[in-house]
This record gives sequence, C-alpha cells and structure tokens, in this order.
Amino acid sequence: MAHQAHAYHMVDPSPWPLTGAVAALLLTSGTAIWMHFNSMSLMSLGMILLLLTIYQWWRDIIREGTFQGHHTPPVQKGLRYGMILFITSEVFFFLGFFWAFYHSSLAPTPELGGCWPPTGITTLDPFEVPLLNTAVLLASGVTVTWAHHSIMEGQRKQAIQSLTLTILLGFYFTFLQGMEYYEAPFTIADGVYGSTFFVATGFHGLHVIIGSSFLAVCLLRQVQFHFTSKHHFGFEAAAWYWHFVDVVWLFLYISIYWWGS
Amino acid sequence: VRTRPGYAAPVASRCYSHGKVETDEEFNARWVTYFSKPDIDGWELRKGMNTLIGYDLVPEPKVLDSALRACRRLNDLASAIRILEAVKDKAGPHKDIYPYLIQELQPTLAELGISTPEELGIDKS
Repeated sequence: MAHQAHAYHMVDPSPWPLTGAVAALLLTSGTAIWMHFNSMSLMSLGMILLLLTIYQWWRDIIREGTFQGHHTPPVQKGLRYGMILFITSEVFFFLGFFWAFYHSSLAPTPELGGCWPPTGITTLDPFEVPLLNTAVLLASGVTVTWAHHSIMEGQRKQAIQSLTLTILLGFYFTFLQGMEYYEAPFTIADGVYGSTFFVATGFHGLHVIIGSSFLAVCLLRQVQFHFTSKHHFGFEAAAWYWHFVDVVWLFLYISIYWWGS
Repeated sequence: VRTRPGYAAPVASRCYSHGKVETDEEFNARWVTYFSKPDIDGWELRKGMNTLIGYDLVPEPKVLDSALRACRRLNDLASAIRILEAVKDKAGPHKDIYPYLIQELQPTLAELGISTPEELGIDKS
C-alpha cells in the first residue's frame, strides 16, 4: 500500500454521520410525537443514539489526531476554520433571539400595557444573582486563559488546576441559574416577556452545559497526556467556545437583565 | 409643554456637548413628521411613543395629534387611549397639564371618536 503524497486527512469510512442523522430525525419527530401523543419513546431513542454518536465520533477524531498523527498543520488549520465557522453560525443563532427580544421590548404592544417590562411582570434584580453570574463567567474566562498558558508552558499541574477551576465555575453558573429559574416570579408562559427571557437565557444555559462538557473532556485528555505544549487544538476550540458563551451572557445581561428591567 | 425652571443658566455653564442644539420647534416638527408617515406601521407607532415618553417632557398637543391620527390609520384605539394615559402620567405632579392637553385635543378626539380614560371610567385604579 502506498503512502499518501499530501498532508491532508482522507478519513476512513465511518457510520457516525449516518447514526447522527438518524438521531436527528428521531429527536425531532420524537419531540413532536411527545408533544402531541404523550409518548417519549422516539425522542428517548433519538437522545440515546445522539449520545452514542457524540461519544464515538469524537473518540475516533481523538484517535485519528492524537494517536495516529493525522492532524498535520494543514489539517489543523482546517479544524480551526471549522470551529470558527461553527461559532459564527451560533452567533447568528443567538442574534435571532436578540432580534426577537428587541422587536418586542422596543415597541411593546397594548396587550402588555404599551410598556416594558410589561404590566404585571416583576423582573429579577440585575444587581443580585445575575451580577454574580456575570462575575463567575468572567472569572472562568480568566481561568481558561490561565489553563491555556499553562499548557503552552508545559506546566501540567497548573493546567489541570486552572482547567478544573474553569469547569467548577461553569457548574456554579449553571447551579445559580437553575436556582434563579426555580425562584423566578414569572414563567415562560408569561407573555412575550417570559418567552424572550427563557428562550434566550435557556439556550444560553444549554450552551454553558455544552461548553462545560467540552472543557471536561479536555480535562480528561490533559490528565491522560493528550496535549503537547505546541499541539492542543481540542483545548483551544473548547476555550474559544467558552469565551463565546461568556460574550453571549454579557449581551444577555446588558440587554435583558439590565436594560430590560 | 416643557416644565421650565424659574432660572436661566448663564451661557458659559451650559452642559452641551459639541454640535447644534435642537430647538423646541424643531423637536416638535420632527415628531409630527415621524407620526405623519402615511404608511407607518404598528411597530413604528409603538416605538415612537415609547421613545417620546422616555424624554423628560410632556409632548405638545400637535405631536400627540399626529400620533393619534397614526393610531386612527392603524385602527388602534387601544393605543390611542393609552397615549392619553401616558401623557397624564408624564405630567407628574403638574395637575394642570393634562386637562390643558385634553382641551387642545378635544376637536381631534371628537373627530376620531377617541374616548378619554375618564369618560370610560378606567382612570380609577
């Protein structure tokens, strides 16, 4: 068998794109069926298949990059482009929800009393838990940068400590936000205020959980010596994603929590 | 109707940033024009009102007249009556301003068939 005469990665056939697509189909149709016919079977099946796909697809990528050497500089460049494009698409995703929020809040309808916050809505005090949440995420941005420098400088123990701290801060945010959701004096069903609040902050919270998971995988990999001081793109991608999540929160805080109160 | 302070600040200590200052007439004309747009939509009406009500002043009758006519074009009676409630609130402790506005707007209210909150009995909490 000849060796390839280029530095690119011609991936081996894999079943995971197909299982991922099937999972997407089962999740979407399953959610619709759950909502109309009171059965969670299809949705649960989709969820399981999705989790299996996630685990195995990314495990394979780690094998290809870390153990088999397929992530040459041009391949890594492509991965960087890919992550940047993905995060850009997520920016547009959130832009939509900010559009909805500003459309509703700049020109509140008569049904709301023509004012924002709408009549009857008790907003959360932006200077209580939401401000703490802001501090927590900003701090986690510092600790993830600390982790990055530690990795680049070959400081294994510090890298593990700062990455762990970042993840703990992420969990703390999620915990605090969960408490806020539980205690809030309004629900998602409370008019367009409730809708814009919980959909925007809800999707953000989901992204915090995803980002925390990504960082946790990086922690496991760091402990298992996957990263070198020069090559640790998985960590960089996780750190980019984490900063994105932080920036989205800052916009949410200023727009919905502060201006919107 | 601007509530003017009883003193006039000396020119040297005015706190303007650079740039021309809009006169009251220019301000009113701008807002009359805004609400006079023939194809103004509901969003623009509500946005305009929210911006206007955010200022530290009670809008002039001619501006309110233009806004009420926009409500008529949009078949939005609810917003028309809400505008009257809002300007009453903007007058704050100056209880003479609202009756003055209603007096000035009476022909328009009659023409457009807009009842005041008082006439509807919804001015009491």
